[in-house]
Amino acid sequence: MANKKNVVVEINPEIRDALVEMGAIDAYKCYQCGKCASVCPWFQVGTYEFLVFRFPLETVLGLIASSEDKDDLAREVEKLYRCVGCEACVDQCPLGVKMPQILRSARRILVDFGSYPENLKSVVQKIRNAGNPLGELRERRSDWASKAAVKNFESRMDLMYFACCLPSYDRRLQNVAMATAGILEIVGVSYGILGVKESCCGEAIRRIGAEKVYNETARSNIENFREVGVRKVLVTSPHCYVTFKKEYPDLGGEFDVIHAMEYFWNCIDSGKLTPKRSFQKKVVYHDPCTLGRQSGIYEAPRNILKSIPGLELLEVEDFSRNLSLCCGAGSGALWIDWEKGERMADIRIKQLLDTGAEVIAVACPYCLQMFEETLKAMGVDVPVMDVSEILHDSIREQK
Amino acid sequence: MDLIVCIKRVPQTAEAEVKIDSSGKDIVRDRLTFDMNEADSYALEAAILLKEKFGGTITALSLGTADAEDTLRIALAKGADSAIRIRAEEFVELDGFKTAALLKEVIKDIKFDAIFTGCMATDDSYYQVGPVLAELLRVGHATLVSKVEVADGKAQVNRELEGGLIEHLEMSLPAVFAVQTGINEPRYASLIAIRRAAGKEIRVVGKEDISLELKSNSTLEELFLPPVGKRAEILSGSTDEISAKAATIIKEKGLI
Repeated sequence: MANKKNVVVEINPEIRDALVEMGAIDAYKCYQCGKCASVCPWFQVGTYEFLVFRFPLETVLGLIASSEDKDDLAREVEKLYRCVGCEACVDQCPLGVKMPQILRSARRILVDFGSYPENLKSVVQKIRNAGNPLGELRERRSDWASKAAVKNFESRMDLMYFACCLPSYDRRLQNVAMATAGILEIVGVSYGILGVKESCCGEAIRRIGAEKVYNETARSNIENFREVGVRKVLVTSPHCYVTFKKEYPDLGGEFDVIHAMEYFWNCIDSGKLTPKRSFQKKVVYHDPCTLGRQSGIYEAPRNILKSIPGLELLEVEDFSRNLSLCCGAGSGALWIDWEKGERMADIRIKQLLDTGAEVIAVACPYCLQMFEETLKAMGVDVPVMDVSEILHDSIREQK
Repeated sequence: MDLIVCIKRVPQTAEAEVKIDSSGKDIVRDRLTFDMNEADSYALEAAILLKEKFGGTITALSLGTADAEDTLRIALAKGADSAIRIRAEEFVELDGFKTAALLKEVIKDIKFDAIFTGCMATDDSYYQVGPVLAELLRVGHATLVSKVEVADGKAQVNRELEGGLIEHLEMSLPAVFAVQTGINEPRYASLIAIRRAAGKEIRVVGKEDISLELKSNSTLEELFLPPVGKRAEILSGSTDEISAKAATIIKEKGLI
């Protein structure tokens, strides 16, 4: 940014007020210390200028996405969709400014006017139409469960297992849902799935800014949960977890939500499950943003891994737990293809491989998919496994 | 230049599972999202680019139900100066001809140098509105337009033909241009423009303003999904096995 000229900016209170109305109130808290920028994944990527600390001031001045020039505006809108909602900035902010929410307030206005990336429009469209971001048929949602002989939920059951869209449809990720079901069988708890009634939790579209479609999706899920008598929900995806736990109550959906990692660790801790088969590998655990920073669940997945005989648990020095680097798939970014050299997953994978790990363990379907695809593109043959898969291998009967 | 852009709000069905409703003449709309017809957003952008160059005004016009006002507001946010909705709910059997005739009834009172439409609407795919509208207005038209440039009161127009051919026409104005998709980069609306558009009034016209008795030239009898063919074969096995089987079939059929 050499040769910077002095620019006279015109403050636009009308836009400021519209953004605040959409949820950007935190912008007033920011005193621009810049701490957010130092932990923002874009700072580590280093090839794309994303000065996150500017957004609150631009909000208060009413300058976000306001360029009158077509190309400049396209760059501004694209920039708004660079935020992956990892909340590393929120975690470090001395005043707890919810930066992703500030950006989302602008996204909400843009979405209402069809002014957002086409790829994301397609995701919103598919979730409204098919109930999942892949556009797969509703009636095929429980195909994985028929293979694993998982029953449909009934009110007398203890748990409703919500597998998330990706593990329900994606061939590779179905293994995570099946491992989870396998563990629940061994625990002996009564559980079932919603089957064809299950629909996306709506997390991604809410973060994209499609608030109306999110509300409609969430309300319909809450109604479905109530109709079949759901009390306790077990989830595989931490994205579903934050949505059910922190966001559904705002719409009247109060359920007891537990993440598979917490549930499985409780089972091991209380002696209901005992990992037996050894897993003689060096395993590095990657903290998913939504499970770690956003939900405070750091120990359960580590405790599970440590309880497995032979497994050596590794950590990414300096970039672990709350300082874990995002895989780059959050807030709709899973469906945006950034240029080579601008991908967070490339950097995270390097950090994970540098530990000397033979297996990368995750507890989020998004991270698993991002990492597997990144490793494939790199031509590196290191498996990525969900902690549930590793646990299931260690406790199941040998055939 | 004074320009008119005809816009239709359509269901987004490209990647959706489409079901037919109980009337057998419409699709189930509950779970669909709606947006500006794809070709119309290119038509709007083509008009905005001309307005940026020559000044003037853009009027966005839509025949649609009340929801179409959301789409017209998007057009206002992107660069249209005024917008008119014709109440579709007051007219029945809107085939390509009747749609064009209704648009003409509104357009005849507006001064214009050019009208832009999409080359087709993705919902009923008639491809008729642009050419019929031009005929009714007694002006020239070009379909499948891939480029429009204006100089000395004439339009230099490219049309996209089959086989990769481009036809170049010189046309006098006023004229109707039915625009092909992909010819430009439709813009986003800025937050400032969105705020501005939010306060603009959309003129609504209906039966009381359109005295003409209009009959459609065709009536929709039935909508149905094509029967599933019997020649589909699903290959199973590993990726290598499937690839080998697919290659054998392609060779057997003489396709390579």
